[in-house]
Amino acid sequence: MTRRFIVEPRGVADSWVKLAVPVASVVAALVLGAIFLAITGNSVIEVYAKMLKTAFGSWRGFSETLVSATPLILTGLAAAVAFKMLVWNIGGEGQLLIGAVLASGVAIMMGDNVPAVAAVVLVISAGAVGGALWAGIAAAPRVYLGTNEIITTLMLNFIAINLMNYLVFGSFSPWRDPDATQFPQGRPISDRARLPEFGELIPGLKSFLHRLDLGFVIAVVVAILIWVVLFRTPWGFGYRVAGDSAGAARYAGVKVSRTFFATFLMSGAAAGLAGGIMVAGVLGKMDPRSLELGLGFTGIIVAALARLNPVVVIPVAILLGALINSGPALQSIGVPSSTAVMLQGAILIFAVAGEFLIRNRIRRPDAVPTEVSEAEGATA
Amino acid sequence: MKATRFKALAILVLALSLVAAACGDDSGEGDTEELKVAFVHVGPTSDKGWSWAHDQGAKYLEANMDNVNVTTLESIPEGADSLRVFEDLIADGNTLIFGTSFGYMDPMLEAAAAHPEVTFLHATGYKTADNMGTYFGAAEEGRYLAGMVAGSVTETNLIGYVAAFPIPEVLRGINAFTLGAQEVNPDVTVQVVWTSTWFDPPVEGNAAQSLLDAGADVISMHQDSTAPGLAAEAAGAKWAGYNTDMEEFAPDAWLTAPVWNWGPFYLKTAEAVRAGTWTTEQYYGNMADGMVDIAPYGSSVPDDVRKLVDERKAQIISGEFSVFPATVTDQDGNQRDLGDIFAMDYFVQGVVGDPAG
Repeated sequence: MTRRFIVEPRGVADSWVKLAVPVASVVAALVLGAIFLAITGNSVIEVYAKMLKTAFGSWRGFSETLVSATPLILTGLAAAVAFKMLVWNIGGEGQLLIGAVLASGVAIMMGDNVPAVAAVVLVISAGAVGGALWAGIAAAPRVYLGTNEIITTLMLNFIAINLMNYLVFGSFSPWRDPDATQFPQGRPISDRARLPEFGELIPGLKSFLHRLDLGFVIAVVVAILIWVVLFRTPWGFGYRVAGDSAGAARYAGVKVSRTFFATFLMSGAAAGLAGGIMVAGVLGKMDPRSLELGLGFTGIIVAALARLNPVVVIPVAILLGALINSGPALQSIGVPSSTAVMLQGAILIFAVAGEFLIRNRIRRPDAVPTEVSEAEGATA
Repeated sequence: MKATRFKALAILVLALSLVAAACGDDSGEGDTEELKVAFVHVGPTSDKGWSWAHDQGAKYLEANMDNVNVTTLESIPEGADSLRVFEDLIADGNTLIFGTSFGYMDPMLEAAAAHPEVTFLHATGYKTADNMGTYFGAAEEGRYLAGMVAGSVTETNLIGYVAAFPIPEVLRGINAFTLGAQEVNPDVTVQVVWTSTWFDPPVEGNAAQSLLDAGADVISMHQDSTAPGLAAEAAGAKWAGYNTDMEEFAPDAWLTAPVWNWGPFYLKTAEAVRAGTWTTEQYYGNMADGMVDIAPYGSSVPDDVRKLVDERKAQIISGEFSVFPATVTDQDGNQRDLGDIFAMDYFVQGVVGDPAG
């Protein structure tokens, strides 16, 4: 007699399942990567050791991992906040870029005329405002006319990319450096508008944290603040109820449309803040080549792996930052450039598959309950 | 019979012992320390274009220098993040690093300042340090010759030019190409379409198609993919490429192309670094030193055109002919001084398009 496997809803998943499944997803992705590496004739241990060493094996590597993680925390938050409320904002990329455009625009306009601390605050706030405005272009028709925000936010990404490129490559706008005659570049912003590096604030830290700046701290604080707002305030309660069931929320007196709109803007602001922090931090200018890295899209992977939890976004972003950083170094030991990209894709696929296992369980119909728990253990 | 067999055997033994000796020499050469050289490319080395040409140079270096260890990194995005790539290469022990795209300039300069013991060579840039030089070449010489070929074969007298960015390097190429085309065909017009990308096959292909639709029967390009050529081939038009010999991709359309030959420069630089004689410089190669050339002509290029272009090429190499005259007529018909070609910001007469993008 053949017994088939059946899939059934888990109901409320235990908290150990919520932790074990994403961890198992990453492990499974690494195992899949190992098989791929072995088939292509690479030494699995050498490759993973090199990745680990590049991303975490030295202070410089570790600080670079945090540099990469900084925008990913914020774009991860942008996706997490939106998706939890069923706002399908996949425009984090464009919102980040418009944040960078507005932040650098404000910085260029101010020049050297604003005191340092105020200048930095204005510049990165402008980033958040830029991201929120760009999200608002999609949010308003979504709320009032019911247009599909997946399409609008996606399309706005391409408009943002082209707008940014136009400002530097296609025109003699204030964003373009008038001194760069051989190749168009973004105009450097005043040092007063730059986020200080840890090493500048405390000289002893320079040899440990290298070019890591306060943007990382801001990203972490924003993640915690968002967690507090969503899980510890009445507004956050309404938000979470509306995310689970709009009807129930309406019945409970939550202004669903307004919450939806606010969530959309908050999501955009987080992505825009990432752009502002990059301009005021590591870049010091609106440099299209350094901004157009798909960070908004990678943020969606971060949010999915973090199961939309704002605080979990932080370690996940650091993990993906490490993965991104170790990619080029792999080429120096003979691994194709696409392997790290493939690993990222594998992790996303496994994360999505893992989500299914959190919501559902797989078991054999005739199994007695004790066997079920064994099967569950094997799954995790 | 026996004697010949013996002779053959003797030759074989001799040959084998020579091979063994040669191998022995190779491995016994322990007096030179291994030189670790790294190349960082913006595109995939399989692009058959810019990055491929540099990679050929790297392979030439590897084949022609003893005890050299070449590391190649491809598809490394330009901009601030590339700093960590250079730092990683230094941590791996590389002491000579070539960055083959403009956007690595500032990160390389930063890495050079932090690591005075490492030598950096940056293609197409303009910032230098004691341990960082730049290199590039006079592609305009090849452009001029490609323009002569294109001007000779066009029947509609409209040549389409798919171009990446409105910057001096690209404007210089378009102007040289146009002057070459006008030398053999005064009625020719060169129409420019900007793509805002060095490498994006669909965008490049669409740009070429728009020019073909406008009546161009020859496509030239300042791009790194073969897409404009494929569009020309499909439309039965002609194609002047760039970077490398791309004839195999569009054999009927192929005319020629300005091509790069980076290998000898890489070898020369690596040897100077090993010998400790390298000093910073802004190297600008040309046809005379072999860094720039044109690809072999396509089968449809008539013999008289080949002869004419070959003569010009010889004059460029000998220094008798310079592709840019001291005064030129600009797009609006005004006479003007040639000016600094490294800051060129105008089109010559005969070009249709906006030099500001």
